[in-house]
Amino acid sequence: MKTVISSWLLLRLLFRPAAVFEELADTQPEPHIIFFRYFVWLSIVPPVFAYIGASNFGWRLGAAEPLFVPAGDLMIISMAYFFVLLFGFVSTAIIAQWMASTYGARHSLGVHFALVTIIAAPLVVGSVMHLFPHVFLNVLVLIPTLIWSMYLLYKGLPIVLKITPERGMLMASALIGYLLVAAVSLLGLTVALWGRGIGPSIGV
Amino acid sequence: MNAIELHKKLEENAGLLIFGILFVSAIGGLVQVLPSIFQESLKTPTATTKPYGAVTLTGRDIYIREGCSVCHSQQIRPLLAEVKRYGPYSRAGESVYDRPFLWGSKRTGPDLHRVGGKFSDIWHRLHLINPRDVVRNSIMPAYPWLAEQAANADGAIKRKMRVLQKLGHPYSDEEIEAAPAALEGLTDIDALIAYLQILGTSRSPGDTP
Amino acid sequence: MAATELKKNEVYHDRVVTALVIFSVIWIIVGMSAGVYIAAELVWPTLDFGEQWLSFGRLRPLHTNVVIFGFGVSALMGTAFYSVQRTSHVPLYAPKLAWFCCFAWQICILLGGISLLAGWTSSKEYAELEWPFDIAITVVWVSFGIVFFGTIAKRKIKPIYISNWFYGGLIIVIAMIHIVNSLAIPVTLSKSYSVFAGAQDAIVQWWYGHNAVGFLLTGGFLGMMYYFLPKQAERPIWSYRLSIVAFWAFTYSYIWAGPHHLIYSSIPDWVQSLAMVMSIVLLAPSWATMINGIMTVSGASQKLKTDPALKFIVLSLAFYGLATFEGSMMAIKSVNVVSHFTDWTVGHVHSGALGWNAMITYGTYYFLVPRLFGTTLYSVKLANIHFWLALAGTMLYVLAMWGAGVSQGLLWLSLDEIGELSFSFKDIMASMPPYYALRLVAGLIFLTGTVLMAFNFYMTMKGRRTVQVRPPIVTSHWA
Repeated sequence: MKTVISSWLLLRLLFRPAAVFEELADTQPEPHIIFFRYFVWLSIVPPVFAYIGASNFGWRLGAAEPLFVPAGDLMIISMAYFFVLLFGFVSTAIIAQWMASTYGARHSLGVHFALVTIIAAPLVVGSVMHLFPHVFLNVLVLIPTLIWSMYLLYKGLPIVLKITPERGMLMASALIGYLLVAAVSLLGLTVALWGRGIGPSIGV
Repeated sequence: MNAIELHKKLEENAGLLIFGILFVSAIGGLVQVLPSIFQESLKTPTATTKPYGAVTLTGRDIYIREGCSVCHSQQIRPLLAEVKRYGPYSRAGESVYDRPFLWGSKRTGPDLHRVGGKFSDIWHRLHLINPRDVVRNSIMPAYPWLAEQAANADGAIKRKMRVLQKLGHPYSDEEIEAAPAALEGLTDIDALIAYLQILGTSRSPGDTP
Repeated sequence: MAATELKKNEVYHDRVVTALVIFSVIWIIVGMSAGVYIAAELVWPTLDFGEQWLSFGRLRPLHTNVVIFGFGVSALMGTAFYSVQRTSHVPLYAPKLAWFCCFAWQICILLGGISLLAGWTSSKEYAELEWPFDIAITVVWVSFGIVFFGTIAKRKIKPIYISNWFYGGLIIVIAMIHIVNSLAIPVTLSKSYSVFAGAQDAIVQWWYGHNAVGFLLTGGFLGMMYYFLPKQAERPIWSYRLSIVAFWAFTYSYIWAGPHHLIYSSIPDWVQSLAMVMSIVLLAPSWATMINGIMTVSGASQKLKTDPALKFIVLSLAFYGLATFEGSMMAIKSVNVVSHFTDWTVGHVHSGALGWNAMITYGTYYFLVPRLFGTTLYSVKLANIHFWLALAGTMLYVLAMWGAGVSQGLLWLSLDEIGELSFSFKDIMASMPPYYALRLVAGLIFLTGTVLMAFNFYMTMKGRRTVQVRPPIVTSHWA
């Protein structure tokens, strides 16, 4: 089984996802290689776009004027965004690996890292909308990117992890359960920290 | 007998199971709900809180009928931004005559607990007949029928006040007898506006938030 | 006890189950259409055309009551009657009373719904129906309890299966909270005054409101899951022991969570804090049950090739996990301070209502309906399309409401550099319609899927009758 993945894998994902899945099925990648060669770079993209957008246009939550946050605070928020993405990536891969034995799927951490990278890739593409940080527009762009990610999840998981499509469907749905919980936790944590004073002031 | 064996007894006896469920589910209510039924401070009106008169009671029942509490809350939280926006936060003693309570659980429109005196009667009239006449982007529905229905159309005001008197509201018998006359010539919209105009007036702007 | 011979003509009473299933599908379409209509009214407020009965304030309680009590209770009653017979190996006790429950309930909902449009309302959420209906509901509910527990009393299998504990909990707890919360003195046929006032009424109302969600929308449907999931997966529940612990922990802790609807209100602070803590404690038994379900179904994958039902059930468990986690999280004061009164709460409700309640019922029905008629589903393809529509509709709804709710919550509290409010209320709310439009689309997608399902069932049932199934001949199950 190969351990090396071609560097153009992610680009090919855009045009020939099926081929990428087949290739990954025959590869046993090393987790640290996937992490450092692919995922860290992907995770830098959304925070950079967010920083550029917020400092040039301000956050637009809909009401009257855009909110401009001081550059120092913006830098901290962008870095936090980066680390949250890393945490999300690693935790999802670990949870998927934990679930693998229940569904008879491949167990190696590296292949789960690779799978999560593939699923996350559309979200990175969609993050280009952060260049104009209007919340509703970002939500609007998030919808097709989420559909695309979920398509890759349901299609790719059984191929990459070498299980039947039916078992893949079950495992993918269970993973979505985790992702939903993670997303809402992020919402809650952000809001709770905001009330504690991290972010523009709110009168609680 | 260990826990699993003990539980087997419960699983094999419908009566025990029913009792078990009732007992276990009653505990929370007994601890949380029951004491508050007897708590005096939740039943004592503030010094300036009065029971609703004939007109404002009618207005309140119209507020209920039209589902206003589906979009408007009447509960100002003790939060800085909220007190700045709406006024002094809501005290329990202000809602002791509210049957049922109308604190609401959603703000599609603003909180109304202290709306009393903030807008003129004519503003309220225009706003209720067609909100978009006074607030351009409002999504509130229009209530044109309120200006057409008589306030005491069902003739029930005396009966209402008697029931409330039984429940402990300090109405005098004279007040109840005089109630239909107080509603004479008024429409639903007059009564509703009267209700809105007294909301929250038991605390004035000079009081502590 | 001696072995009992079955009479030759003794069969399970399944026609009442079929009736309840059909009524529940009718109600979900009516209730969801009302929901779609009010979602549209939030985008175009003149959609009431100046008519009282189309006004948002009257249609909203129609929507909630029809989906919870029309759809929810009919589905629960039907599946309870189906499963209690089979887990007891006896036909229903008092079958005529069961038919009474079925039809009397539908009449309550029909007349109750009309009364709501006429403006007969108590305004107390999920308890809006006025006193004549409160009494009628109680009569039907007691009858439901008699049929259900009566069937259990004459069971031929000694242990009472776990799905029956959840259905039993539904019946007992709803009776308790409905009776107490409905206490009122009538004035006229359409109006009564609550025995409780102000803060006390608030506490009683949300002890009711939260536990209506807890024991009807959560507990009752867990009963559905505990029976129908192992049947569909053709495997036993993953951990019996876990189900016991989870049931009692669930029944105990859920009751305390009510006042988390009243955080930062004028009820006593200790009640609020207790509610917050118990809402978090509640997560454990909730998730234990979810894990039980997921692990049970995890080995059933071969069936998925031909069985769309399992897809719905698996995803419903994922959304159950989301909704229960989100609920506990939103009960935390520092989250609640932003979420209370916003559309985030609405999003939370619908992740549960669409993602959990609707989907688990749809999954159960895709299994049950063909079985009731002794045939196969008319179109598996249509069911698969329905699955993707349901998933898309739910996720779009939740996303739209998260966007709207978090924005509202933060903006309402937002202060500028000199400590004054940054935005006016009306400016904030003026930017919400795009989210409301997105939510309307989501609702339409979900409703479309549901209509496809109704058509699928109609074609499956057409020209057939409910099959007659005999309980198994039993030699003594009693030691």
